[in-house]
Amino acid sequence: MLDLIEPALFAVLTIAIVAAGAGVVLANRITTSALLMAFTFLNIAGMFVLLGAETVAMFQVLIYVGAITVLILYGVMFTPQSPRPYGLFFQTQKYWAALLVVPIAIIVALIAFSFRDSATVGAKGGDLLPLATSVFRDFAFPFEVASVLLLAAMVGAIVLVKRDED
Amino acid sequence: MPLGPFGIDPVIWAPLRLVIAVLLVVGLVFNGALAQIYLERKIQAIIQDRLGPLHTGPWGLLQTFADAIKLLGKEDIRARLTDKWFFLAAPSIVFSPMLASYVVIPFAPGIVGADLNVGLLYMTTLGSMTVLGIVIAGWASNNKYSLIGGLRSAGQLISYEVPQILSLVTVVLVVGTLSMVGIAESQPGWQLNVLVLPLAFVTYFIAGLAETNRAPFDLPEAESELVAGFLTEYSGMRWAIFFLAEYGEVTVVSSIVTTLWFGAWHGPFVEVFPLIGVLWFTLKTYLFVLVFMWIRATLPRLRIDQLMSLCWKVLIPLTLTNLVITATLLLVFPSTVVPVAIANWLLLAAFVVLLPYVQRRRLVALRERLRTAA
Amino acid sequence: MAVPLGAFIAVSAVLFFIGTAGVLVRRNAVVILMSVELMLNATNLALVAFSRRYSSIDERGSVFVVFIFVVAAAEVAVGLAIVLSAYRNKPTVDVDEIRQLKG
Repeated sequence: MLDLIEPALFAVLTIAIVAAGAGVVLANRITTSALLMAFTFLNIAGMFVLLGAETVAMFQVLIYVGAITVLILYGVMFTPQSPRPYGLFFQTQKYWAALLVVPIAIIVALIAFSFRDSATVGAKGGDLLPLATSVFRDFAFPFEVASVLLLAAMVGAIVLVKRDED
Repeated sequence: MPLGPFGIDPVIWAPLRLVIAVLLVVGLVFNGALAQIYLERKIQAIIQDRLGPLHTGPWGLLQTFADAIKLLGKEDIRARLTDKWFFLAAPSIVFSPMLASYVVIPFAPGIVGADLNVGLLYMTTLGSMTVLGIVIAGWASNNKYSLIGGLRSAGQLISYEVPQILSLVTVVLVVGTLSMVGIAESQPGWQLNVLVLPLAFVTYFIAGLAETNRAPFDLPEAESELVAGFLTEYSGMRWAIFFLAEYGEVTVVSSIVTTLWFGAWHGPFVEVFPLIGVLWFTLKTYLFVLVFMWIRATLPRLRIDQLMSLCWKVLIPLTLTNLVITATLLLVFPSTVVPVAIANWLLLAAFVVLLPYVQRRRLVALRERLRTAA
Repeated sequence: MAVPLGAFIAVSAVLFFIGTAGVLVRRNAVVILMSVELMLNATNLALVAFSRRYSSIDERGSVFVVFIFVVAAAEVAVGLAIVLSAYRNKPTVDVDEIRQLKG
């Protein structure tokens, strides 16, 4: 009985992720897309907890739900669009896109589903210590470079959006 | 047969502690909100030389119950042009993260919902989720005051998250754990963290005021300029849920302060009767709730540009400096926290003495520039 | 009973292709940004799954997720800034209609 909790949770999370992800692409209203995206992020955080990576799950919620979704909602509110028929939602290249995506998707899905691993038992203990030691000891230099990237992105975004003061 | 705490069989204890934790949470949020509203009215009245609620019940004690029943009995109004599902969902999106963060609060030895090893991170994460609910509430109301209130709130909450998390990280550096229980256990007797890290406490408390939308940072619902901010279109029970969430957030911030800086459940007789820790914890938490109310009755509201410049020009550089100094001193003196404490007290003194001076200099310079421009 | 690693990888692949489809077929630039975020999240899921299940060999795999967080935040900030400045020139966020750079 207790053995079934983990697969059941996995099934619920999978259905939520796939449904919400498809909703992001197919939803008629853009705010619905944004909220479904936040919902997908939350469910992926649930997957991380299921995998025993609770630190990464917390960062996932903190960064994606708390910051990126709000940023995207800002973007949605600053670019109001008049409503349009559903037929105009997709680009003109949609058939070419489908032709390109579907075969690759089928191949990758087949590979993923046929994946058999030897290590089915997850790691014991949290991922706080491994994550901290790897970020601040083994990957300290890339971490610093990443912070420079963030600074550059911040400055770039401000310069792009700032209006010229009259 | 192994015995759990208080000599109870562990098989019974596991569900029992869940029940105790849930009861405490419900008590803290719902009764706490009622008590806090009464306290807030009385304390503001005392500070402003009034009497406050007086007529319903002895000393006006039943006034909040009457108000709650009035709110429950109100008609459920939703304006036609609001966005139905988002409008209905927003109060729950604000309320549920607040309720969930009570899971990791250590009320007493052994009385905690779950001792997560990332407990503090969990609390900050849930705190950041309320932004989403407030933005949605502001947008779904289809009202310009609501929208401005919601967007202001999002800007404010995201900005003040930075000094808040930086202050928490300073404590984590000293204590060496993210678990709330671990942090509570690290301060027995008089070894409170506030004696080591007073500046982190002050900066966290200021950021916490902003995170909970309380005065003097209650810009999102500034009634003199924005009607009621993102709450404008809400009424009845939905409005009450937003309000419960706000008072719950105040309690959460106060319990974080209690746990991180004031020793959580530690107090006299806790070693003998562990349950008395709940009493100490509640007393300490409500002491900070009272400080929240005192500040609300004392300080005027900030302007939006003052709010942002306080965060980005004062709090973030200060907390960053504090973090770097604390980390360096801990590396140099790994066995003692005394140098950290000295540096922190000096920084706090510098902050308290220099902030009014710098602000006055800037004001004088601004007036000078305006005069030459005119 | 632990969920097999292949199941996580399959979910990750499905989500990645949902994101790819979104980038290729939607007109709205903001939705394209959201789809890119979905793709990055799918990658995160695969990385965390491998890292946790093979942590006896090397437990540092999750570190790439942290770098993906950084890249995602930078990408969404700069991307939204570009969309906003394009919207100021011409009030649309349709990628079909933003073609001033095309000769």
